[in-house]
Amino acid sequence: MDLQKIIPYRKLSLKELLVPENKFMALVAIVLTALFLIGVMIYLVHGHHAYGVTREHPWGLLIAMYIFFVVSSTGLCIVGSFGDVFGFKDYMAVSKRAIFGSIITILSGFAVIAFEIGHPVRMMIYNVISPGLTSAIWWMGTLYGIYLTFMVIEFVFLMRNDMKRAKIFGLIGLLVGLAAHSNLGGVFGFLNARVVANGVFYPTYFILTAFITGIYLIFLMYGYKYRGQPFPEDVAKALTNFAKIQGLLLAILMFFETWKMLTGVYGGMPERADTIMHILHTKSFWLGEVLCGMVIPFLVILKSKGTAIKSMVWASFIGMIGIFYMRYDLVHDAQLFPMQTLKIREYQLPPSFVDYFPSLTEMMIGFGGIGLCLILYFLGTKLFDLDSMPEHH
Amino acid sequence: MARYGMALDYKNCINCKACEVACKEENGVLLGADKHRIWVGVKEIEGEFPLLSIASNTFMPSQCQHCDNAPCEEVCPTHATYYDENGVVRVDSDKCILCSYCMNACPYDARYVDDRTVTVDKCNFCSDTRLARGEVTTACQATCPTKVRIFGDLDDPNSEISQVLREREHFTLKTHLGTKPKLFYLI
Repeated sequence: MDLQKIIPYRKLSLKELLVPENKFMALVAIVLTALFLIGVMIYLVHGHHAYGVTREHPWGLLIAMYIFFVVSSTGLCIVGSFGDVFGFKDYMAVSKRAIFGSIITILSGFAVIAFEIGHPVRMMIYNVISPGLTSAIWWMGTLYGIYLTFMVIEFVFLMRNDMKRAKIFGLIGLLVGLAAHSNLGGVFGFLNARVVANGVFYPTYFILTAFITGIYLIFLMYGYKYRGQPFPEDVAKALTNFAKIQGLLLAILMFFETWKMLTGVYGGMPERADTIMHILHTKSFWLGEVLCGMVIPFLVILKSKGTAIKSMVWASFIGMIGIFYMRYDLVHDAQLFPMQTLKIREYQLPPSFVDYFPSLTEMMIGFGGIGLCLILYFLGTKLFDLDSMPEHH
Repeated sequence: MARYGMALDYKNCINCKACEVACKEENGVLLGADKHRIWVGVKEIEGEFPLLSIASNTFMPSQCQHCDNAPCEEVCPTHATYYDENGVVRVDSDKCILCSYCMNACPYDARYVDDRTVTVDKCNFCSDTRLARGEVTTACQATCPTKVRIFGDLDDPNSEISQVLREREHFTLKTHLGTKPKLFYLI
């Protein structure tokens, strides 16, 4: 079987792979990947005991990082779809890279979650033969599996410049991805016991923040590619447009967040208002989510009306730090309030918010996932021509 | 089939923890595993010494509430959590993937991870042990010296639990969540 006939790729020499042009990024990728592997080894020996999660706070950093990656994937899928699915010529230049990015980010997410789920192999078997159709996790997992398949097929057709088929598979992939991603929001939305998470907010918020993340990432990918050089005209045009869209999206996100907090504290409902007030007193919310994730990038866009695309690259880097905090806080905040019915006055368990801090192993696996992503991206840029504009049919 | 539930005359509880010991012994819970399956909540004495309100010091035993509308069952992606023919909420450890979604969904903090099977476990009203042997008691009920626990079939109007629920006022925990617990606290 000739792989070249299925997907055109460049033949590489080992030297090209082993001597990357940017030694700093290569070092970052290798160190992070090594940490990932060390973390996995510790996990294989000690199991969940190597993690900082507890009975009261069963989801930790790895769930947050999984969400971080799949939000990135859905976002890049949305961004990539502008060109190849919806046929907007101005965005065609970034489609291939975005779709490739959506594939590698979800693969990295799966790599991280594989070491959080206690029995990943069993999951694949029983997801099929004993599906829990009322479970948002079942739908999220199943739909993301289908989504990944469609994204790979879309990418293959994109590389073959078969825009007609890429469009069909891209559209299905996008729709399944949006369904999967809103289901991931539903995973939290379905938690009746967790009043700050329960409701319709997260499924819509996830789609919105995915779009925002996708735009941040497209800036990072092109900012890195054209570091120290001017952007080509078509890329610059797409990025300027995306910066303007990003301004609008960030405004909507700030609007969403404001109302979430206001409805959360209004009326002083026990548990919900307590938790929201606690969130409003944390630095990770104000400095992480609000300042890095929304305000700084928003101000950069506002100041230049979206034209300062070089500045936007740095703003996007800060934005991605904010996105990480958004994911981490989302997971942590949902579990803040103790569920210890009738135990809260016990002398061993004083009534307080539940504490959690990620263990070193969790950090190695979670942040190490970024290393996997960087290595896959490097391989992708070497193997595939991610820049040539597809012929428009 | 029966629809098992439990009534708790919690004001009789003297916090001797015989129920916890009996439960661990019956169900083979690991030694030292604190608050696994069942536990006794302690409301500490109010007031400052010497003005202590002795009456304020109450003990409230708790465990899985065996909800009729169990959030843990709804969110389980592999049907590892299920209702058995007696309405008992059970975990099939062969199917559990340890995604911990049920632990997050349970409003009663009733679930824990069993270190031997590396799956989620919880009280199952002694379904694997006593009920499987044809007995109609749970270990915690049988051992309680002050008869706090009344276990039985809610569908049988002549069962002791049905009678006591008819005669005495009672409440369930976090009723507003609509989980319909089958653990009743007698007032």
